[in-house]
Amino acid sequence: RASAELQPLDSTISDSERFRDCRKFVMKCSSCHSSFDFGGIQASNKYQTTYSGIKCLSCQQMLSPLAVSAQLEHFLRHEISAYYAGWLVCDDCGIKTRQVSVYGRRCIGKSGKAYGCKGIMRYVYSDKQLYNQLLYLQSLFDVDKAKKRVLKPLVADHEFEDKENKPVALNQGELDALVEQNRDLFRSHQRVVDKYLAECGRRYVDMGGIFEFMSVFKR
Amino acid sequence: NPQKYKFRTMNQKLLEAADYLDEQIDSMAKILLEHYKFDSDEFGNPNIQSQSEILTVGRVVPDSPLTASDADLNSSSLFLETSRLGGIGQRVKLDVSSLENYSFFPGQIVCLRGQNLTGEFFKATQIYAIPFLGSPVSSSEELQSYEYGNDYLKVLVTAGPYTPQKELDYSHLAQFVERVNTEVRPDTLVMFGPFVDVNHVQIADGSARFDGLDKQPATLDDIFNMVVAPILRKLECLVILVPSTRDATTKHAAYPQDSFDRKSLGLGKNFKCFPNPATFQLNEFLVGCSNNDIFKDLKDVVAGSARKESRFDRIANHVIEQRRYYPVFPGGLRQKRSLKEQDESAHISGADLHLSYLGLAEFNTSLPDVLILPSELKSFSKIVQNVLVINPGTFMRQNSAGTYCEVNFKAPVLEELEKAGDDSYLHTVWKRARVDVRLGGL
Ligand SMILES: [Zn+2]
Ligand SMILES: [Zn+2]
Repeated sequence: RASAELQPLDSTISDSERFRDCRKFVMKCSSCHSSFDFGGIQASNKYQTTYSGIKCLSCQQMLSPLAVSAQLEHFLRHEISAYYAGWLVCDDCGIKTRQVSVYGRRCIGKSGKAYGCKGIMRYVYSDKQLYNQLLYLQSLFDVDKAKKRVLKPLVADHEFEDKENKPVALNQGELDALVEQNRDLFRSHQRVVDKYLAECGRRYVDMGGIFEFMSVFKR
Repeated sequence: NPQKYKFRTMNQKLLEAADYLDEQIDSMAKILLEHYKFDSDEFGNPNIQSQSEILTVGRVVPDSPLTASDADLNSSSLFLETSRLGGIGQRVKLDVSSLENYSFFPGQIVCLRGQNLTGEFFKATQIYAIPFLGSPVSSSEELQSYEYGNDYLKVLVTAGPYTPQKELDYSHLAQFVERVNTEVRPDTLVMFGPFVDVNHVQIADGSARFDGLDKQPATLDDIFNMVVAPILRKLECLVILVPSTRDATTKHAAYPQDSFDRKSLGLGKNFKCFPNPATFQLNEFLVGCSNNDIFKDLKDVVAGSARKESRFDRIANHVIEQRRYYPVFPGGLRQKRSLKEQDESAHISGADLHLSYLGLAEFNTSLPDVLILPSELKSFSKIVQNVLVINPGTFMRQNSAGTYCEVNFKAPVLEELEKAGDDSYLHTVWKRARVDVRLGGL
């Protein structure tokens, strides 16, 4: 319900733009323990999406569905806990602290006396960022985005110094087939993220924002 | 009210958090004012220079915003934070050199008498203890209506993790359940999470595997449903489950924490799911429990006779006096040592406090008779302010057997109880209970 209404506004921004500051989802192969950045169904030198799931290219072993979803949920919960650590930063003196003044936004300052610095405190890890991080994880298992090749690229083009090592993009026929073969599996991973998206207060804040925005138009 | 725990997480508002922190000071000031019958004119702002002694209520904080939450403070690194009303939220250096006995920790609300002579620091000359809440009472009719099989009520208390540190192996729990049903036969079993620990190494690296199943679990929820629930379902007694913020089987990853959903976990009606923290009644007595490791996270600066008490006694006393299950602020944090504290990627786990709802972690109108505060530190039981305080320890301790507690409550005998009124009796549970620490998973 919520996502359908979010679509028209959000679709104007590409995933690479929207998820620019998101933390990468680094997965570990449970056989050879090598790790790789997971970016959904797209070309990579480190892993490959096959007709029966994700394969580690270092040892050619498949990752079980549990291996993927356990790491996904572990990562997601790590982000939630990092958010709840409640780090604040001052926009003036730059102090980072977990202490909160009884005024909230007031900076405690280097003196520790809660006066002197006129800066404004804000959460380093905002609820908007956390919500975005959840949406990013959701997108990694979105096979329709993979099909349309709109996933955030694993490495931005300009970051490739060694053009020869750039993984060869999948051809569309291959991609379409992979998408259909992995749809159910990836959907089950998305449900892990859904569990937290449904709980995420930010999502409902956004909804309010949209209604406000629409009411402007109605007027 | 369990419905109140169903708040949405991941939308902490800084201003709401600050409102709560401010309110904590002022509401405690009101309690102290009424209890000690202070003249409200005696209250002053400790931040400003004054010719005479004043009274003040505030929060103990470290002297620097850069102090790590697990740092060992000392007597010269303490500040006092005032409320908006009490001192426009400013903080003043606290001189405690004139105080003989004290135990101070960050987050503690204190009432002090003293003076700020120069404008530089507040010299405290006297501490006023926060009055203790009363103990719960029951009528004779109520007391006689409860069942005590064989004159005793037997309650077991366990806390996770239930698997070894290196392997997600629930066979120890299975053996325990077997022993509970056939040998120990308690009336009630209180189990604290984590059951499926999101930070277990085999979950973090995805290497968890389960032998002897037709089909492997595909998610962490499946692990609970396919591996843990079948073991728990064998339990025949009343079972109370209290989650941990490390439990995978919950989407509510913040403290205060909503209860597990019994039905979706596939557990029978002999299971009761309570939030974290929770206060509930077993027979006549009131049990308060909180699954957030206060014994590990509370670090105090101590002097005088308080120094002679055990640290566990002091912390239990703080919880009871502060009237809240987790009085430390900022909450505990576990980080990778090699990195700077301010580096977010150093984060491992923490107390995960949702500040604006911490009111749910305050005691109600009375003290509990029994206070259960699981900690990864060594198990113990003690009596503090006539409250039986229990830490069952963890069921598994790294890769060896941990501990759990067996508590036997003797049935109340009217003649042996203390009267609190015409027909109201103090439960004096501490006189009637015997706690044995037993070896957990083997
Ligand atoms: Zn591998
Ligand atoms: Zn500042």
